[in-house]
Amino acid sequence: MYEEKLKEFEPIFYPKSIAVVGVSATSIAAGSVWVSDLRSAGFPGPVYPVGASGGRIGDLEILSNLRLVPGDVDYVIVAVPRQSALELLDDCTAKNVKAVHFFTAGFSEMDRQQGRRLEEQMLETARRRNVRIIGPNCIGVYCPEHKIPFLTGILGEQGSVGFISQSGGIAIKLVTMGMGRHINYSKGISFGNGIDLDASDFLQYLAADPKTKVVGAYLEGTRNGTRLLNTMKEVARTKPLVLWKGGRTEVGAQAAMSHTGSLASSAAIWSAMLRQAGAIEVRSLEELTDSLLVFQQLGHGQGTRAVIIGGLADGGGGNSVAAADACTENGLKVPPLSSQTKQKLADLLGEVGGIFCNPVDVSQAQFRGLPTLLQAIDLIVRDATSDVVLIQEDAEILLPIYSRKGLEQINDFIIELGRRQGKPIVIVLPPGSAETGRLETEQRLLAASVPVFYSMERAAKAICRLNEYSCRHEAKRTRGSSAQT
Amino acid sequence: MVESQNLLTEVESKELLKKAGIPVVEAKLARSKKEAISISREVGFPVVLKISSADVVHKSDSGGVKLGLANATQVGKAYSQIVSSIKRAYPQARIDGVSVQTMAAPGVEVIVGMSKDAQFGPVIMFGLGGILVEVLKDVSFRIVPVTERDAREMIKEIKGYPVLQGYRGQKPASIPALEQLIVKASQFVEKNPQIKELDLNPIFAYADKAVAVDARIILE
Repeated sequence: MYEEKLKEFEPIFYPKSIAVVGVSATSIAAGSVWVSDLRSAGFPGPVYPVGASGGRIGDLEILSNLRLVPGDVDYVIVAVPRQSALELLDDCTAKNVKAVHFFTAGFSEMDRQQGRRLEEQMLETARRRNVRIIGPNCIGVYCPEHKIPFLTGILGEQGSVGFISQSGGIAIKLVTMGMGRHINYSKGISFGNGIDLDASDFLQYLAADPKTKVVGAYLEGTRNGTRLLNTMKEVARTKPLVLWKGGRTEVGAQAAMSHTGSLASSAAIWSAMLRQAGAIEVRSLEELTDSLLVFQQLGHGQGTRAVIIGGLADGGGGNSVAAADACTENGLKVPPLSSQTKQKLADLLGEVGGIFCNPVDVSQAQFRGLPTLLQAIDLIVRDATSDVVLIQEDAEILLPIYSRKGLEQINDFIIELGRRQGKPIVIVLPPGSAETGRLETEQRLLAASVPVFYSMERAAKAICRLNEYSCRHEAKRTRGSSAQT
Repeated sequence: MVESQNLLTEVESKELLKKAGIPVVEAKLARSKKEAISISREVGFPVVLKISSADVVHKSDSGGVKLGLANATQVGKAYSQIVSSIKRAYPQARIDGVSVQTMAAPGVEVIVGMSKDAQFGPVIMFGLGGILVEVLKDVSFRIVPVTERDAREMIKEIKGYPVLQGYRGQKPASIPALEQLIVKASQFVEKNPQIKELDLNPIFAYADKAVAVDARIILE
């Protein structure tokens, strides 16, 4: 599906050469930042700085006009005032440019009449010249595989999550938060006002892109709702699509209008549209990154029956109660463990002070040593009454009891056990007073493809979204293959 | 009142809906007391009389609706009462006459509507009738075209869904009939882009069918 987009968008995500217009040798111009970012990221092709005043930037000569670039240019980044936009598009034809990214702002999002008229003229010129426009009012392409960083040189590892964002700020947050949580991107795009290529175009590309397995989106509005709905239906059929609509409230919608020139529709209509499309709606950056993380790490849902280990050590009682509420209220089922497992746990840990139903509190293991704790975890994970395991780890409690090495051992055991059992294990690591140790633990788990969340609520919500998607879109596959329950 | 020239009467609206395969309680226009009585005999008592005028938006608030009329005498009296109260409430209104329809047996009241969204075009709304839609805004939406699956989901999505499954001995409403009605309403507005708003309110849902008791269409 949408295979034609792969070839069409190759000059955008894998350009052979890039020219940056709006570079200055003396003052700090946005274009200059782009040139140095691309070069320090290691962009594999030539980068041509263009700026009226000429001079040099690093070892590169600043060309006074785009037409002076030797040979063809695939992709042009524009950071000059809007008055030059039309002339620049004319210059692009001479260099056989395929796509122009306008970082430049001040169009329909600023003044609806003049800005909109200029956008129309730009679009008309671009169509005539056979050039595609990204933006204006955006930060454009992010492609770690091809060493295209985001503004200010942000470049994370290459991964399988693709995203589109109407906002550059949110796009940057997605990448930077992702870098902290091992959410690694195949491609990202910030398209701002989207006068030519818009959300639908980029969603189609990401649907076709073999490197992308899950798609995230931040949108504030659309100029072609029907096309967006139809596109999202198609995309969600092949890949999980998680969407956050900004401007849900009246005040938010007002802000969206001046941010990306988006029209208002009621939040209820957007929610309905997303359900209709089979997309997953989220309502914050946290929910979006949580969902992308769980999709990236686990791929698909195996069911909503959760077993919760509320505590590995002291303090597990209250945590277990709170975790049971958090999971149940957010859509997970928390069925009791089998009676055999309950008995085995009681034999292992003693009857007093533990909760062996579900949630499970195995804090008593701390008086019997690490092997007992691991044995208890093993029993709980293997119990057939659950589809997913949630374990809360409180670094400030576990570190003094088991030491850093002990905690590493616990987590390595959990990682290995999850792999062996083929059962997803999700870790909740609430921030607290042992941040260094907590972060170390988080990174270790994330690197081993274990999803880590900061609260039970967030974990439960993300797991439910994963299952919601699997239920809706993978039903056909399982129905056809086997009747296993 | 500004849009009154674009407001189709109940009789006109229901004719269009019937042609589109949407079940309605048919209404016929009576231009006189005599006509009202003869139509009543034709459709069968008890009947409902409603004012027919594009200038009257809130029919029942101004005494323009009489329910449960059991015989010719009651119909005749109701006709005169309706016409005189409307002349009092809307002195400028052009009155076509009075619509006559058979009084539908009570069912679960639901509503289906269509309005146009700036970004997504025609949107179908579904909800339970009365207080649940007016006060609690317990409604669901889908963008046209609405598929059977969409219709099923939008019915199940409302908080009042258990009411449709039957409560306190009331028979459950036919969900497939409601699905069909929603899908047909979607097809109807898709084929007729000149329709700006559609309001099927109320629809009576029964164990085996769903019928629009009142209907209103506003054109662009």
